[in-house]
Amino acid sequence: MRAAGIALIVALVAALASLPLVLPAFGLTFWVNVVAEILIWSLLAASVNLLFGYVGLLSFGQALYFGFGMYGTAIGISMFGLGLWPALALGIVASTGMAAVAGAFAVRLTWHYFAIITVVFSLIFYFVAMSQKWLTGGDDGLSFSAPPILEAAGWMLTDRTTQYYFIFLVCLACYALLALVVASPLGLRFAAVRENEKRAQLIGINVYATRWIAFVLAGFIAGVGGALLALFGRYASASYMFYHVSGEAVVWAIVGGAGTLLGPLVGTALLIIFREVVSGLWENYLMAVGAITILVVIFAPKGLVGSLTALVRRGESEEREHLENPGIPATPATARAEAE
Amino acid sequence: MENVLSIRGLTKRFGGLAAVDGVDLDFPYGVLSAVIGPNGAGKTTLFNLITGMLPADGGEVIFEGDDIAGLKPHQIVSRGLSRTLQIKSVFTGLTVADNLRVAVMAHEKIASPLRPALGFSGVNRRVEELLAETGLARLAKRVAGTLSYGDVALLEIALALANKPKLLLLDEPICGMSPAETETTVARIVALSKSTQIILIEHDMEVVFAIAERITVMAAGRVLARGTPKEIAANRDVQDAYLGAPEDAA
Repeated sequence: MRAAGIALIVALVAALASLPLVLPAFGLTFWVNVVAEILIWSLLAASVNLLFGYVGLLSFGQALYFGFGMYGTAIGISMFGLGLWPALALGIVASTGMAAVAGAFAVRLTWHYFAIITVVFSLIFYFVAMSQKWLTGGDDGLSFSAPPILEAAGWMLTDRTTQYYFIFLVCLACYALLALVVASPLGLRFAAVRENEKRAQLIGINVYATRWIAFVLAGFIAGVGGALLALFGRYASASYMFYHVSGEAVVWAIVGGAGTLLGPLVGTALLIIFREVVSGLWENYLMAVGAITILVVIFAPKGLVGSLTALVRRGESEEREHLENPGIPATPATARAEAE
Repeated sequence: MENVLSIRGLTKRFGGLAAVDGVDLDFPYGVLSAVIGPNGAGKTTLFNLITGMLPADGGEVIFEGDDIAGLKPHQIVSRGLSRTLQIKSVFTGLTVADNLRVAVMAHEKIASPLRPALGFSGVNRRVEELLAETGLARLAKRVAGTLSYGDVALLEIALALANKPKLLLLDEPICGMSPAETETTVARIVALSKSTQIILIEHDMEVVFAIAERITVMAAGRVLARGTPKEIAANRDVQDAYLGAPEDAA
């Protein structure tokens, strides 16, 4: 399983890295930007997933930190005249800081109370952003032209391929960070808190502090996503902070597989591609998204990636049992009977 | 200091009901103590107050000379006071080894966000030790949610031992066990009591009178009687309140 998993991840990274070279060859240049956007949005889903899948907190307000990342970057460039990297950093600091403050209140609560308070926070700042037009541009948003990534090398976001690699590498770094964290002692603490809050306390874990750290980290990841989307679109708008956006990310994370590293990416990719393809043909395509979500929740409650992993694991353990006890057939008796 | 745990005037009210009503108790070192009493006597509430899972309305809890009343559960645990719960409580989605690993890491204050959790050789050794001590080594890779009831109870005790506690509170450790499981668990508790201070709540009188050296009887939030099993069995108040005829207790 480990070897197969690593091989799969290497293949995925290689595929994503070669996309801007491969897609144009098939006349699909437009899709380079779609994939870049999927990578960005998947960070918002990954942020939801870190809280829900790994710590057991369902947030419907992650768009707030996405929005702070967006505005931090946009304001940094359009008002303070910052370069790309300082503006990116400003966006991430703003979102992480906001998560640190909101998290201090939110993680005192769990389940529906937690979900509600995250929505309330995002609504408050949504309305603040809508009303403070001088700073945020409100509904119209804030447009700017993107500064160069590295002036000396002539790397500009206006070049489609350069922009893609910039986004790809930042997202890759985020996923690498998440992979390290969930496999670390801190990640194990997250799992303990998710599995059994009471017992976590009784082995000496500060549950509140553990949840807060996760919340701040989730704000950081969402903030990186928001900052990237601002640079990608050269634009920030309060509408991205609305809780609809948060809810969409929850759907992506759950369809893809909460509690798996790549679930959010798979869910986001699937539903955004679905939107790109179907929305042109059928304006009520969201009904289909709803149907897909319901089907996944009922038939594959661990999400697509989670169910697939479980399937592979079960296959392997059956195989191992078969090797250890050659008398017991690897396939269930009923399946064999049907086959015969 | 001859008492591992002393309680002074400990009180908890739920509305008008005093679940624990001005209780004074001493638990001496080197003695396996048991707390018994009819349902609703306040035994579990007493444990919850001692371990910080409920805030007390008044009184002191002196553990190894320090007043720990008002501390948070995780702070009390890190001082070396562990407990198990009446409803067995483990991390069901994690493997047995990871259950213990996270407990050992919590005790050793390891919370690195970037190093692999499996790469701490000291922790791994301690996990192996705990697995061996509790006889769970053969189940190390099993997910805790798939264990039998008796093994879950063992795992919970192993979790409580991860911080090398100075005092271990067991809340009905054999409740719901088969006779075979009861026998092995009781043997384990007795063996443990040689190295760790233990106070247990238990409903099985046969077990309590067989293994406890000091018994506290609670009723209606108060201490009704204290003494050796013999003294308790002979106590008229206890017989009236709880045990029934003396021959039942013998």
